[in-house]
Amino acid sequence: MKSLLIAVKDAKIHLTDRKAILMMILMPILLTVILGSALKGVMGGGNMPETIVGVYSPESNVMTDSLLQTMGEEGLAITVKRAESGKQLTDWVEDREVHVGVHFPDGWHPDTDRAVITPISGQETAATVIQQMIETFAQTSLAITTSTTAIMTEASVLSANGGSIDMDAIQHELASSIETVMNEQRSYISESPEEETVSSMQYYAAAMAAMFLLFNAMAGGKSFQQERRSETLSRLMMTPTSVRSILVGKFIGAFLFAWIQFLIFIGATHFLLKVDWGPSIMQILFITFFYIFSVAGLAMVVAAFTTNEKMADIVGSMGVQLLALLGGSMLPLALFPEIMRKIAMATPNSWALTSYTSIMTGAPWSTLWLPAGVLLGIGVASIFISSLRLRRRMT
Amino acid sequence: MLTVTDVKKSFQSNEVIKGVTLTVKKGESFGLLGPNGAGKSTLISMICGLIPYEGGEILINGKLVGKHHKETKQMIGVVPQDIALYPTMSALDNLLFWGKMYGLSGKAAKTRAKEVLELVGLTGRAKERIETFSGGMKRRINIGAALMHEPQLLIMDEPTVGIDPQSRNHILETVKSLNEQGMTVIYTSHYMEEVEYLCRRIAIMDEGKLIASGTKKDLANRLAGGTVLKIAVDTVRPQFIEQLKAMDGVEKVIVLPENEIDVHMESKMETVSDVILLASRSSVAIHNMQLQEANLETLFLQLTGRSLRE
Repeated sequence: MKSLLIAVKDAKIHLTDRKAILMMILMPILLTVILGSALKGVMGGGNMPETIVGVYSPESNVMTDSLLQTMGEEGLAITVKRAESGKQLTDWVEDREVHVGVHFPDGWHPDTDRAVITPISGQETAATVIQQMIETFAQTSLAITTSTTAIMTEASVLSANGGSIDMDAIQHELASSIETVMNEQRSYISESPEEETVSSMQYYAAAMAAMFLLFNAMAGGKSFQQERRSETLSRLMMTPTSVRSILVGKFIGAFLFAWIQFLIFIGATHFLLKVDWGPSIMQILFITFFYIFSVAGLAMVVAAFTTNEKMADIVGSMGVQLLALLGGSMLPLALFPEIMRKIAMATPNSWALTSYTSIMTGAPWSTLWLPAGVLLGIGVASIFISSLRLRRRMT
Repeated sequence: MLTVTDVKKSFQSNEVIKGVTLTVKKGESFGLLGPNGAGKSTLISMICGLIPYEGGEILINGKLVGKHHKETKQMIGVVPQDIALYPTMSALDNLLFWGKMYGLSGKAAKTRAKEVLELVGLTGRAKERIETFSGGMKRRINIGAALMHEPQLLIMDEPTVGIDPQSRNHILETVKSLNEQGMTVIYTSHYMEEVEYLCRRIAIMDEGKLIASGTKKDLANRLAGGTVLKIAVDTVRPQFIEQLKAMDGVEKVIVLPENEIDVHMESKMETVSDVILLASRSSVAIHNMQLQEANLETLFLQLTGRSLRE
């Protein structure tokens, strides 16, 4: 009960602080608008940097060899990496060792089979380019095949009849066939059903939510140090309230404010910026619960391992910015090299961000267990370590 | 009400409380005097259960501090030296919060907050933020927060530091009135006139020890010389000092910096004229002369050779 009193008091203090409102609520909305709009081109198309295409073709034929050779030509900045098996290609895609995966069926022919493209979140540009290349290649090859067939048929009929070859008729037939093929709106590839893509606005809405919720770790730690400086913490400890209740109250306070911040943010981005947070709001709330839990835990760590307000401010800001950078809140994770993507897995915001973007593209509940577990683990570990230290300092 | 027996406290190797013993009776107003760093705030923190003590025991109404946390803390209301309030919250919200932290229900807290606001004279400013208040008004709410749960023992740690005379008088009158209504008060300050005005019994602390305690009369009796003649001379001659010390009616002579001399004496007028005569005979020119009645400041000076406000 007393913990709740402390928590409500903390949330009330935050909500009456204009600077905090500006920083924690308006700022992320503004940044979502700016970054989402500015990086629209980068996320949706534009120049492709070095692209690694993972390819699996069980049985090579002239078509696939020719296509892969075209892709690997100089000047295209594409590296073709051939997988030994379908599983190896799937592993590469899952481990993000390639930017896009292409699975060709046995004896692939564009007229009868479809190649399966698996885009990776954040590498939508590469997937689009590869898709266009395959389509162009398929159209060209079909046109050539069709025209060759037409010539051969015409020639063989004439030859069998012992007549002369009408080159005008062949030319007309050839031009007509090629025109038909080239104008035909056909798809020669299909996208992997489990991987949809998010728009830049969606990505940055998720990224800013993850980043600015993280600022609660700094704000929570700072609030604790403010109470120490102003002696209200001592006064709280002179009341018949246990140290545990005070610590739980501070934790719930950070938790409560983060929820208020998130709900305002998601409402504003959804209704004002028309950001689609995906088909399941329950999934968003579920992962947010665990993320905020871990952030409130980190707030206690900042409180425990700093000695004054200024230090909490500096350590908190630096920590948040570092985590935001490493966790993909500033630049999309997909642009990071492999090693950096592995480091990002140590940051709670990257788990939250990846979960949000997955939910936006319709990920099933089963994909959320791991991030929820990791975030819960970070929160529990933070609370355990910080409470040991804080209890020692406060008693 | 409060019994402190041979209590000690060290921070690392520095012993800051060196075996303090004192008793405060129910309904009493007890003053704790001492210069900065004497150990008053540390002693109070130990009584409030904020920091643990080493050796000895502290009992509040027979309950051991440190063992019966909730019971002892519920009996005490503490007015800290700093303004321990939330500046962005209103005076009323602060009072309600602190009342609830002592277990008052919402309704009881509201009723009590109205009474407290009236007591500290800030009813009209209840809904204003603390950060908009003057120093004196903040101090009054700081006291009000400690009164919300109607404690049996009110401990005030330097509650009038840095405020205007009007707020200071209001606070002193409030404390006196609370004591007259039966509340036990421990008042610490280095303003001896406040302690003299409010408290019947007084203890003086210095360097972690109680160096004197008793009623004002008891302490006055301990003074070597009830009156002090303060003189400023052109030069301090050793022979003049020796002759002063040997004079009838002079109890003690203290030479202070800048050629000032405090002469502690029993009788007044005859001794004063004898001192003037002696100075004249010793060719010592007196620039200034002031007769001061003995007070706690004088006693502290006598006991430690230092001023209370050093």
